[in-house]
Amino acid sequence: MKNQKDKPSIFDQKFIVVGKKDFVITFCIFAVATFISFFFNKKASDPTLNIAMLYTVGAFLAARYTEGYLYGILYAVFAVLSVNFFFTYPVGTLNFSIEGYQVTFLGMLVISIFTTIMSTVIKTQQEILSRQEKELMEAEKEKMRANLLRAVSHDIRTPLTGIIGNSESILENSSSMEEEEQRELVKNIDTDAKWLLNMVENLLSVTRIDDSNTSVNKTPEVVDEVVSASIAHFKKRYPGTEVKVKVPEEPVIADMDALLIEQVIINILHNAKVHAFSEKPLELNVFTMGDDVIFSIRDYGKGIDSDRLESIFDGEAYSRNEPSSDGYKGMGIGLSICKTIVTAHGGQISAMNHDQGAEIRFTLPIDNEEMDYVSQDIDFGN
Amino acid sequence: MYHKISILVIEDEKSICDFISRTLELNDYKVMTANTGKDGLAIITSQLPDLVLLDLGLPDMDGMDIIRQTREWSSMPIIVISARTQEKEKVNALDVGADDYITKPFGTSELMARIRTAMRHSNKIGSNNQLITKEYRAKDLRVDFDKRRITLDGNEVHLTRVEYKIVSILAQNSGRVITYDALINEIWGPYAGDNNRILRVNMANIRRKLEKNPAEPEYIFTELGVGYRMLEDEG
Repeated sequence: MKNQKDKPSIFDQKFIVVGKKDFVITFCIFAVATFISFFFNKKASDPTLNIAMLYTVGAFLAARYTEGYLYGILYAVFAVLSVNFFFTYPVGTLNFSIEGYQVTFLGMLVISIFTTIMSTVIKTQQEILSRQEKELMEAEKEKMRANLLRAVSHDIRTPLTGIIGNSESILENSSSMEEEEQRELVKNIDTDAKWLLNMVENLLSVTRIDDSNTSVNKTPEVVDEVVSASIAHFKKRYPGTEVKVKVPEEPVIADMDALLIEQVIINILHNAKVHAFSEKPLELNVFTMGDDVIFSIRDYGKGIDSDRLESIFDGEAYSRNEPSSDGYKGMGIGLSICKTIVTAHGGQISAMNHDQGAEIRFTLPIDNEEMDYVSQDIDFGN
Repeated sequence: MYHKISILVIEDEKSICDFISRTLELNDYKVMTANTGKDGLAIITSQLPDLVLLDLGLPDMDGMDIIRQTREWSSMPIIVISARTQEKEKVNALDVGADDYITKPFGTSELMARIRTAMRHSNKIGSNNQLITKEYRAKDLRVDFDKRRITLDGNEVHLTRVEYKIVSILAQNSGRVITYDALINEIWGPYAGDNNRILRVNMANIRRKLEKNPAEPEYIFTELGVGYRMLEDEG
């Protein structure tokens, strides 16, 4: 029985959808239109004009809020009958025989039905459009999730092996080991653990995007604060790394999920630190251009291979399964997460080489409305 | 005679509990541990520790309840240990009366700094009756609360009334995180609403006056999604 209920029946087709709810909706619209028509009939100078238009609006509404064409057309027929019965001479009877009535009521019927059909068509198109958009976003998310899963399963074992191996060898051989040697092993554990932490935080970022169904949970943020928090976070993890930071003279406000943008900045800095072998301090410059705020992270290292510039944010680095010389693979996942986050914020991310190294830029739209409010508030506050 | 400061660690994860206890003992604190919230509350009421380190994710009860129940009768410092990406939880914990929080994963030096700050503020409560507040001093920054004067490297810094208020509140609570809401309440009153935009922009302007590089602040730090923390007073 239950199975049968789930199956689509013949009545589910576009034209004849039978639903109790739709019937009630149609009836209510009809009743309200009729009720108001009585009011017009009593008070208005030329009531038939108002009444006809009122019923047409009703036809539009009935088509908009019910499934398929059936109820809209049903409504149109009843509207015509009702006008004839209640509001035209002779009142209280159905009479189409008076001269001219055939044309009038046929016209009304056709107009109502036409309204119904147009309204239903628009509604269906809107539904299709929004469904396509949703599917596209789902596909993008799905792709990233698949990439992430591949990266995790592939790369997480390496640092774990390091942690287990190093700690075991200390536990077993600590008596015969030099202190210097032990320190070295503990340092390896530290590096591996931090790498894992990085991976886990990226994973958490992805779940943050997933949680909110539409996109990300944005609030107006002052850009300085996000930048300074990111730098503090990064330096805490890599003490001794130098980063030169510059922010705009005037405070800039952009809508963002601050923790996600922090993750983007940290990922890019991390990537530059680990892979670029920069000879000078990294640089993070924030400036505005038109309606965007631009974050630019430069390193002075070996640059990015030109054939990878396009695809560096697509996570190909780890899916290609090539041997990597510089430590762990998998930071490609960091950059692909950056792209997902920035795109979800309505911004863009790109990579390029300059004379002495590489540069990664991403943009976020400035919240001009907030900026306007703010200048008012500040004047007021002083 | 010299008494060690006693600290209660309420944490269900054994390895973290061990690591914290060892660090604390090495730094000359007396340590008690509890693996469940119930045990923790029992120790709080019977042993009266000088400070509590509390993990919010306990198996048997909500850490928030421990804070609430303790705050009914005691102002002993409580530092919450929390996992990242839960700013809401941190703000809630601070709202119900926690003194500070520390985010996993944390290092030993960070933990020690938080404990020292919390102890310093708890000592202050005893001598709170004195209305004269001591000058705030950290690196090159001085805040004279009597004269309402702020100097940086000897030069006076000109702040607006609101900006001064923000700095003075943070300076009086230096080392601790102060939530956006707490600051807004203090400065604009309880009906200012929950939009913290005015505060954030005032802060951006303060940073441009106080910090050499507003993107790498030395004095006032941002805790994203939670609030601000000012560099610990050295005086």
